[in-house]
Amino acid sequence: MSANAKAARNGRTTSLAAKIFLAIVALYLLVPFVTTFIYSLFVEWTDVLPSGFTLRNYIELFSNVTFWSSIGRTLVLCLVSVAITIVLLLLAMYVVVAVNRKLGRAMQFICMIPYALQGVILSIGIISLYTGTGTILSNRMVMLFGAYTILVLPYIYQGIRNALNAIDAEMLIQAAEMLGCGRFRAYVQVVLPNIISGILVSSLLAESIVFGDFVLANNIAGTNYQNIQVFLQANMDRSSGLSSAIVVIIFLVVGAVTATVLKLQSGTQKSKEE
Amino acid sequence: MASSSPAPRAAARAPKRRPLLGYAAIVPFFVVVVAYEFLPLAQLVIDSLIGKESGTPGFENFIKIFTTPLYQQSIWNSVWISLLSAIVGIVVAFLAARFAFEASERVRRVFTLVLNMMSNFSGVPLAFAFMVLMGNSGVLTIMGRSWGIPFLADFDLYGSQGLVMLYIYFQIPLATLLLLPAFSGIRKEWREAATILKAGTFDYWFRIVIPNLMPSILGTLSVLFSNALAAYATAYALVMNNFALLPLQITSKFKGDVQVDAATGSALAIVLIILMVACTLINNHFTKRAAKGREIV
Amino acid sequence: MSYIEFHDVVKRFGDNTVLDHISFGIEKGDLVTLLGPSGCGKSTLLRCLSGLEQVSEGSILLDGADITDVPASKRNIGMVFQQYSLFPNMNVEQNIAFGLKMQKVPQDVIDRKVREAIDMVELTGKEKAYPANLSGGQQQRAALARSIVTEPAVLLLDEPLSAIDAKLRRSLQARIREIQQELNLTTIFVTHDQDEAMVMSDVIQLFHAGRIEQAGTPVEVYTKPVSEFAASFIGSYNQLARDEFQAMTGASVPAGHVVAVRPETIAITADSPADVAGCHVVRGTVAGSTPRGNVLRYTVRVGAVTLRVDALFRSFHMFEPGQDVYLAIPEHDCLFIPAGALRDAA
Repeated sequence: MSANAKAARNGRTTSLAAKIFLAIVALYLLVPFVTTFIYSLFVEWTDVLPSGFTLRNYIELFSNVTFWSSIGRTLVLCLVSVAITIVLLLLAMYVVVAVNRKLGRAMQFICMIPYALQGVILSIGIISLYTGTGTILSNRMVMLFGAYTILVLPYIYQGIRNALNAIDAEMLIQAAEMLGCGRFRAYVQVVLPNIISGILVSSLLAESIVFGDFVLANNIAGTNYQNIQVFLQANMDRSSGLSSAIVVIIFLVVGAVTATVLKLQSGTQKSKEE
Repeated sequence: MASSSPAPRAAARAPKRRPLLGYAAIVPFFVVVVAYEFLPLAQLVIDSLIGKESGTPGFENFIKIFTTPLYQQSIWNSVWISLLSAIVGIVVAFLAARFAFEASERVRRVFTLVLNMMSNFSGVPLAFAFMVLMGNSGVLTIMGRSWGIPFLADFDLYGSQGLVMLYIYFQIPLATLLLLPAFSGIRKEWREAATILKAGTFDYWFRIVIPNLMPSILGTLSVLFSNALAAYATAYALVMNNFALLPLQITSKFKGDVQVDAATGSALAIVLIILMVACTLINNHFTKRAAKGREIV
Repeated sequence: MSYIEFHDVVKRFGDNTVLDHISFGIEKGDLVTLLGPSGCGKSTLLRCLSGLEQVSEGSILLDGADITDVPASKRNIGMVFQQYSLFPNMNVEQNIAFGLKMQKVPQDVIDRKVREAIDMVELTGKEKAYPANLSGGQQQRAALARSIVTEPAVLLLDEPLSAIDAKLRRSLQARIREIQQELNLTTIFVTHDQDEAMVMSDVIQLFHAGRIEQAGTPVEVYTKPVSEFAASFIGSYNQLARDEFQAMTGASVPAGHVVAVRPETIAITADSPADVAGCHVVRGTVAGSTPRGNVLRYTVRVGAVTLRVDALFRSFHMFEPGQDVYLAIPEHDCLFIPAGALRDAA
């Protein structure tokens, strides 16, 4: 956007119709969560207004061992599977950038398929392939890690590819090569340090996707290996007070990650504009 | 020219073989992708084509699906709920994106922040929040009863009504975030040019803006439709397996109280994939036409 | 035997032959320019020499050794790229030291050599600056320092100045030439800018469609183009078809040839020139004029032919459009060139 257009837009005032419409949409989006949040802080809400402010739900939640272990599992799943995907893709993209550029299209195609598959099909495909094979592959944990690795493929791939394009990785490798540096070494020493920050954003996005996943965890691991979403689902009928607190915690965690992503993104945009 | 005589070595060189070692780095990626992306898909295709009763290859499972009322109902429900939520979502998103685009920087920033935050609010937490709000003893349900608003008091959250409500909810932020960037392609000059040419507001919107946004609108619509079609967590948390919906029926064949029925489940999954692929293809077709139309204009 | 030799080098990308049996040699210490329009294969040849591309056929020798199959990182060749190829995560010093580190040179030697290189490219004071904070010219000077600090056998420059504005480009051209001569460094310079090639080179290799069209010193290439393409690419020769020239001057031209005349060799006068020995004198009408720095370029109509004529820009001596003038064309400056595929080249 040109500086002129931007200035013109900044000076624009918002019309009343726009304000009302946007407020209604925002309200519609916020009400369910805000209600749940208030609900979690009161003893009961059986009238128009809730009554009996309490932190009981949170105290109960934080003293619940199952909650903490499901949080722990979720974090392990997030960190490990995203890390696996990053390593796999960084290695694979080395081949695309430094050995054979023609593989780029195939890589893109492979990495975009999970977008279309989504959780349901991915999970049942993996279950029906590996269940009961009696090998390490039929281990529910192994299946789950495999599934998450595929689920986050599109996000991490796009992050890495954009970062590589932004620094013209191919040229940097050639420049290093001319200085007596092998290609793989050049990739590690010259390219990787320059794309780390670019990968960070897409990795965080992927973390929030794994954190918010219910389908894969429920279908593949189920109650054997409860993540936070499955834990919430299991508690929903038992205690609505506790569940509302879980919803709030999940939302806060994902919200914090999203806010970080947005901040990082606007940061890179600003530095690009300068 | 300072050239010496040509070397004896003028014969065609064998194309130099790159050391295969260079490709080693892509192998782990390939192994994982094959093991957890390609083979599971292949397994579904194979399972779907082997008859449940006969055990022989053929379309037996698919014939069964299309003749069993439950599965017919599931496909139909999935399609109409997805389509309805996608259309409502895109209409709201179009207006929201339009207003947000015209709004001041500050308003737009706050609004996109809300969108970004709430686009994560889906699946089980969303279902739960709506139960708190509109469930049998939900906050709005109680208000509806005490104030005599039948829509709130008698709202059936645990059926198609509730599903549509929730699906629309998660479509709106996604759709708006996808449409917003398209609006920056609308030039201020168009409005001015249209005004000079005596086009009214209606003409401006329906002859200039919407045709120009058509590829984005159709693309977004296709994403929304697929998104709703494959949505599982929200529906499962709300109605468990007690509703005829494609993802719920598929999953219940592999997991759940009854015996595993991979044949039917895989065939249902293939139907779901075909629906999504068809949607993408239709969208590609129209997007191309829309883009072409734009070029001619 | 030359220092660098290309023997029948062929490079194909799929069905597309980019280099078509290239053979020539480069002497030690020379600055050779590969000149030609984009897509003529000049950069590809450079990349084949660097090892970043593999040749399809033929061989390349460096100082008597066949390097055709040696990987790029082992060829001891320095290269400066067209675009900014500095490593963004390293400052100027670290960038320049990179190649020496790869050779495991002791740190104190690295420090000394880096300092010398920085002085040589006049980047003193910018040692700690990161590429993002350098101008295009500074980045290319750092890239130059980085590629010469390892004392390569050959330095390759792939249109290094094409992204830099005209004024700075001239001073960098001069600096590169000085450094090259100071170090007696065999250098190959790729460019599409014939002025740049004229200023910098010992030898120009003029490329056209994957072949070498002409080779020689800048003066040779400028004054004696061997083909229509060479005449059209170098300078701004007036090119006349055989019958056009014969009709205009009455002189005869060998069959199958065209005539090329440089605009600055033609003298333009208002009156019939006194000394016309060895010149074709023709009458024409001025159609227009364009000032080009210290030269005024006239377009003059002579019958059906339009000629470009350059005259020094002296305000007391100008011709108006419509004015009738005499043109004196020295016979020895009318070059007979075999007719070729000129229209393709232009």
